Order: sequence, then C-alpha cells, then structure tokens
Amino acid sequence: MIKFENIGFKYKESGEEILHDINFTLESGSYHFLTGPSGSGKTSLMNLMSLGNMPTEGQMTMFGKKISSLKREDLFELRQRIGVVFQDFRLLKHLSIFDNVALPLRIMGESDENIKNYVSELLDWVGLEKHKNNLPPTLSGGQQQRVAIARAVIGRPKLLLADEPTGNLDDEIGFRLMGLFEQLNRMGTTIVIATHNANIIEQFGHPRLILGNGKLHSSQSSNAPIAQKIRNVF
Amino acid sequence: MFSKIKKQLQPKIKTLGSVLAKTPLVMRMLENLGFRDYDLPLAQSEDSRFLVLLIALMSFLSVLACSGTFALNDMAARWSSGLENKVTIEIAVETKDGHLLSNKTVRKETKKLAKGLKNNPMIKSLAVLSNAEIQELISPWIGDSLTLNDIPLPGLIAIELRNTNQKSLNTLKSDMLKLSKYARLETHHEWLGDLINFTRTLKNLSLFITLIIASVTIIAITAGIRTRLAIHQKEVCLLHAMGATDHYIARQFQRHAMILSLKGGLVGTVFGLVTTAIIIFLSSHSGTTLIPTIKISSAGLALLCLIPIIASTIATITSRFTVLRNLSKIP
Repeated sequence: MIKFENIGFKYKESGEEILHDINFTLESGSYHFLTGPSGSGKTSLMNLMSLGNMPTEGQMTMFGKKISSLKREDLFELRQRIGVVFQDFRLLKHLSIFDNVALPLRIMGESDENIKNYVSELLDWVGLEKHKNNLPPTLSGGQQQRVAIARAVIGRPKLLLADEPTGNLDDEIGFRLMGLFEQLNRMGTTIVIATHNANIIEQFGHPRLILGNGKLHSSQSSNAPIAQKIRNVF
Repeated sequence: MFSKIKKQLQPKIKTLGSVLAKTPLVMRMLENLGFRDYDLPLAQSEDSRFLVLLIALMSFLSVLACSGTFALNDMAARWSSGLENKVTIEIAVETKDGHLLSNKTVRKETKKLAKGLKNNPMIKSLAVLSNAEIQELISPWIGDSLTLNDIPLPGLIAIELRNTNQKSLNTLKSDMLKLSKYARLETHHEWLGDLINFTRTLKNLSLFITLIIASVTIIAITAGIRTRLAIHQKEVCLLHAMGATDHYIARQFQRHAMILSLKGGLVGTVFGLVTTAIIIFLSSHSGTTLIPTIKISSAGLALLCLIPIIASTIATITSRFTVLRNLSKIP
C-alpha cells in the first residue's frame, strides 16, 4: 500500500529539513499510530502520505505506483483514494453539513441520486442525519469532528489519514470515534492516525510509527486488551 | 374573478415549479447558473461588487467606443455612396491670376457652361445651383445675416455622370474648358479621401480604445482572481487534497466570474445604449448641418447588445487561465 524509502523532505521557502531518511512499509488493511513529540514532523509525514507535498529525497510508492514517475495529473486520481481527517477539521463554513460530506463525491463526479443516498446513509451512521441542513459553525466540536470523518470516508478511501482526530474531544467521544476507525479498518481501509495521546495509543494497541527530530525511530506493535474488546464489539 | 383564477392556479404553478426544479436537467441548469453553492466561498467575497462595477464601467465605455466606430463607419459609407458618380463644376469668383469676377460674369459663365454641357453623352443629369441653394450651403460658415449682395458667390453646377473613370473625367474637363476658361472641375475625391482617412483614423482610435478597455478588464480580472486564490488558499488546498482536478477548481472560479461579469456587462451595456441613444437624438435635433447625423445600423446595434456576452466570455476565459496557471504551481 505505502512504501517510503529513504524519504527526506524540506520546505523550499525555509530550506529547513523536516524529515530525513524515513523508511517504512504499510500493508493494505493495516492500522498504525503515528506518534512523536510536537514538531517531530508528524504533520509533514501525513502531508506526504496524503500527496499534499512531494518528498525532496527518496522513493515513495503508493498504491503500487512510484510517485516520482507519475505526472501531476495522475495524482488527482490517487488522492481520491485517500481520505484525510484534519486536526482543525477544515469544514467549509458556507456549506451545509450535507454539502460538506458530499464534496468528495461531487469531485469524483458521482450522480446526484447516489450522493443523496450515500451522504444520508453516512450521516445517519455518524448520528448527524438531523443536522444535515445545518452549517458547521452551529455544531459542537465533537459533531464537527464526526462531519470531518464522514467527509473523509464517504468516497470509500483505501487509505484513511487522521491528524490528531481526538485532540478536541473528551474521552468518551474520543473513544467512540476510535470505534468508528476500528469499524472502517475491519472493512478493509488502511488507517494511519497521527496522535501524541499516549492513553489512546496504549488502549488500542496498534503498531506505532515513532517520529523524533524528523527521523523515524522505531515501529512497535502491541495488542492491548481494549483493542481486542473493541474489535469484538464492532 | 381574477383573484379566483389566481387562487386556483397558484398551487398548480407551485407544484409544477417544484417538480421542474427537481428534474436532473433543470437541476443541472440551475447549478450551472450558480444556484447551488460554490464549493469555495466565492459568493461571500466582499470584492464581488467591485468586479461587477468594474465590468459595468468597462462595458459602458466599450458601448460608447463601439458606437463611435459603427457611427463613423456608417457616416463614411453614406458620404461615399451619396457622392458616387457626382462631380461639381465651379466658376470661381477669383481667377487663377488673382482677378475677381463680378457676380454678373459668374452667372453668365455658369449659364453658358450648363447650356453647352446639357447634351453631353457622359452626363446623366445636370443642375445649376441657385443663389438660394448656394447660400444654404455656405450659411453654416457665414451665418444667415449676410445677404447675397454683400459677398461674391461662385457659380456651381451639380453633375451626375454615367461613370467616373479617369478617361471620362478628362474628356469632361476638356469639354468644360472649351466652354469657359474660368471653370474648375471638382471631383470630391480629394476632400472625400481626406475625410474618409480622418474617419478611418477615428475608427482605429475607437478600436484601440476598445482594446485598451478589454486589456484593462483582463488585467483587473486576473488580479481579482489571484487575490481570491490567495484568500481561499486553504479551501483550494482542501479540494486538492480530496482529489479535485485543477479544472474542477477552475470551473468554480470561471462560473463565478461569468455570473458577475454578465451582471456588470448587462448594467453597463444598458447605460451605454441609453447614452448612445441620447447622443443620436441630440445629433439629429441639433438644428445645424455642421454636426453630422449619427446613425448606427441594426447590425451594429445587435453587436452592441452582444457586449455583455463578450465581457462575460473574456472574464470566464481569463479566470480559467489564471486559476489553471496558478494551480499548476501547487504539487
């Protein structure tokens, strides 16, 4: 699914090296936590995985395609296979909840009838069907987070990236949210969650990618009982 | 009775309207016309009104410049066609050696000339201008207060030829000089050529002004779109992250620019046409022959009515290229 070989990344403007010598492979259907202290390069690595930025060094392979050999036009189709949940949600404030969630489907050129059906179904799944005509600023942080997740998964992505998805949520909602991710993973979606919430990492016990000073230090796995419990629930 | 019919029809019209609005074709049309919200918050932008105003002003100026071009075209065509195959023979008051002829001599020479040329085979028709006609011709320059006795007047014979090739003009000239040594042949070509050249220069100037207006519009739209792209960079990046192609994003901007420019174009064109109509009215009611009557052909008028569509097309294409060029810099 994803293979990073000797990946380095620096911003053109500042020339500062954010990531260097990153090597890892994520298999299809896997579930990983990306962790590390603030400023360690988590968001930059997520941006590379979401194809929002291109590495300045190394070879990146996604969905079996070497990114450096692809044309810019080919990346649009690959991005449609990736769902991203941003730390700050990035909901479009002028659009209704329905239209926010429908956005990836509109981009894919899905028919209006399908959009109506899929979005209604998904909003029901995240418990926001009755808020579908509301604007994002009228929702609570937790509700907005669920809208952001619904938008990220509506296109049935092969890869789901979430940057600090529980950052603005209380423990209970955070736990329910992680349940949604478990369910998606069980349906075959590869998931990477960037977080420095040690509690969640410990409780769910998925393999970890640990970043420090722009370098990937280790990849560890655990099998915490709570993860097993959640798997049984869903 | 009408209120009863209205009451009965209103629910049916409402139902028909809502059914129509829900059909996919109508929905798509409504969406393309901007009735669905943009993915980007373009409609909320404060500077939309500025763009409408700018396009309105540019359209207004374009209508005036194009009206000028069409009116000058029409004027030149009228002058040319009005003087086709026509020449004037003049018995000038002043001879080549600087002597002044008396009014009596001028009249006598004119009569003699007209009589001699009357049966000339090259001439289709001939008319000696009366003193009253000559006074009418020169009155815009000297006024009506002077009587004919106060100034010496030339003798003028208006002639329509069967054709105006150089050979027939030379023959006419020699026949004329045989009849009167004071006669001069005025073919109008020289002054008409100058006038048409002058008109052409004005016409080119109007076209140049129209081009400047179009260029300024393009520059203003480009700057406006770049500003919008900078303001909505976060949202544009979000659409990109979801896999939106550059064309998908460009379509949002071009539809926005199209609607705004159509609004501005319509307003500016209506004001421009009203102004043109006022100018045409004033020119035809000026009461002086010094100001020519301004006319615009129906084809010209139809072209003027197309200005909002032209403005909208320019805005759409400009915004599309600006967005595509800027987005190509994003990975």
